Amino acid sequence: MDDQGCPRCKTTKYRNPSLKLMVNVCGHTLCENCCDTPLRKSNFRVQLFEDPTVDKEVEIRKKVLKIYNKRDFDFSSLREYNDYLEQVEDIVYNLTNNLDVENTKLKMEQYQREHRDLIQKNKATLTREQEELEELLLLEQQGNEQRRLDVLQDEQRQLQAKRKNKQALLDELEQSQLPATILLAQHKVRAAQLETQIEQQKQTVKPTNLFSTGIHMRQTVSLVAVPKVEDVLFHYKPLHVETYGPPVPELEQLSRVGYLNHVRAAMPQDTAGGYTSALACHRAIQDAFSGLFPLKG
Amino acid sequence: MNRGEWILISRRAQVSKSTRPRLCPIERVNQICRCSFFLFDSFSFAEAAAMFHNSSQRKYWIFKSEDEVAHMRRKANQKFRNKIQESGKSAVSDSMFLERHEEDVLFRHYERRLLDFCNAFKPAMPKSVVGTALMYFRRFYLNNSVMEHHPRTIMLTCAYLSCKVDEFNVSSTQFGGNLLHETPAGQERVLEQILEYELLLIQQLNFHLVVHNPYRPMEGLLIDLKTRYPTLENPESLRKSADDFLTQAAMTDAGLLFPPSQIALAAILNSALRASLSMESYLTECLGLKEDKDSISKMYDSMRRMKTLLKKYELPKADEVNIYKPRLERIHAQFASSSNKRKRGYEDDSHVAKEPRLVEEEWTDEDLM
Repeated sequence: MDDQGCPRCKTTKYRNPSLKLMVNVCGHTLCENCCDTPLRKSNFRVQLFEDPTVDKEVEIRKKVLKIYNKRDFDFSSLREYNDYLEQVEDIVYNLTNNLDVENTKLKMEQYQREHRDLIQKNKATLTREQEELEELLLLEQQGNEQRRLDVLQDEQRQLQAKRKNKQALLDELEQSQLPATILLAQHKVRAAQLETQIEQQKQTVKPTNLFSTGIHMRQTVSLVAVPKVEDVLFHYKPLHVETYGPPVPELEQLSRVGYLNHVRAAMPQDTAGGYTSALACHRAIQDAFSGLFPLKG
Repeated sequence: MNRGEWILISRRAQVSKSTRPRLCPIERVNQICRCSFFLFDSFSFAEAAAMFHNSSQRKYWIFKSEDEVAHMRRKANQKFRNKIQESGKSAVSDSMFLERHEEDVLFRHYERRLLDFCNAFKPAMPKSVVGTALMYFRRFYLNNSVMEHHPRTIMLTCAYLSCKVDEFNVSSTQFGGNLLHETPAGQERVLEQILEYELLLIQQLNFHLVVHNPYRPMEGLLIDLKTRYPTLENPESLRKSADDFLTQAAMTDAGLLFPPSQIALAAILNSALRASLSMESYLTECLGLKEDKDSISKMYDSMRRMKTLLKKYELPKADEVNIYKPRLERIHAQFASSSNKRKRGYEDDSHVAKEPRLVEEEWTDEDLM
């Protein structure tokens, strides 16, 4: 980001860290290159992406999608939906790369006129969905806050209890006639009791009536009977690999047959990593036997 | 397996040590499992995936006979000649091209140079890396002519690629530092060339990058001899001469004709023969071939062929090299200049070649005023 600077005054982020590069309609930062298009200060937006063409495309896409706002359930088949999406992408591409701008704009206006009602309806559903989402988020946040406060209060209470205990001990040491060791023992017992109380409190689950997925505890979810699929029963056949050579002894048999006597033993550093000398031996034997026999015929 | 090999190269980084078992402590053998290890969770299943019997080497790079191999090389030579004739460059006479036997001399000369380079490499290059580099070199010039791509750069590219594939981690600066004849600037230039040729090399290897060398099979056979064949008293005594056999075999076409385990067996049987020790019963008893006379005779036949290959190998003669090398240089100077501008290996994919983002303005005299 440091090498990008305002082409006009050449200040960079290095010299002025609070410099924010603005992007204009044509996609150029601080445009003088396309001096034909009239520039307005209100059209400058803060540049979000390093490549100004990406920013330009994002702006165009937002505008186009305000008009072309059909959703997947508005279409009767997947093919139609995909065709619609391709249409939209073509329009965005044309506008971004300044190809055939007038025709594209005409197309857009025509579409807007034809589907005015549908566009309005979709806008309405969108805003409704967004509001619902926001409500959910708010609820969740409130729940989190509440939980946090509860935990804090619990901790405070525990601290209080401990302090009281200590204070009680000091008072008793001052006033009581009993010897100090007995008092200390009593205090320890009380402290231990407090600890177990706290532990128990932590263990008890707060009774709730909602699962984390949002389903109520007592709610019966109707399960549609899953259709039974009949298929051929699977029979396991062990893997057979043709090695074109004599059979290789199993890894576990190597030490029994005596191979490992002729391989350097594994040192503690090696075995720590999971290495055994049988691994190396097995690999060498495999390599020696693989492809050893000539092909038949 | 091919995709796994390609991913290994493009990552250019070491596999983290925590995902593979510790290095095998058998002397001179330093790899257990390669990329297949983190694709499968059970070790035995991983071995089924990384072995010679289902490798690309067995499927695509083991040929039936020496004739087939010679035919491929002839085709490569002819292909280059046709290419130059068709491009219509004037002043091209047939005598300018190199003949097959002349190409062979130059190939062997540069192969020797590659071997010397690898042996002098610091840090010391493991044998499997050297073997892989030699195999790449050999496979590349099976389908390409030395007249088209100069072996000087290809051999260094082979070594560089082999270090990466065999997980012998050498940085490019370290690699360049081994080019003792060059100044640091010269080393940079050579490195750039290597990087340019790397993709071409991988492409001409058909992306089959895992090469199985006969060194580990030889270790395995020695272990098996020590365990199951008490008739042979001291198999270790065979090691040195078998090693020499394998080094010599790497300079022949043996790797393209026989599986590495057969080459290793041939090495051991040969060194036993030299020491006048009999190992007949090993084949019949331990390898279970008592009933299979056909296989035994085929195996002896293969070993005879290998020995012939080793005997036929001649060191390239200096005077011949001195005649052919300038001719090679001339051919390269004349015909290779057109392809210098584009990056190697990108020639077929026009969409991969980078277009300049901005059109650079031409300098004119007025600008300088």
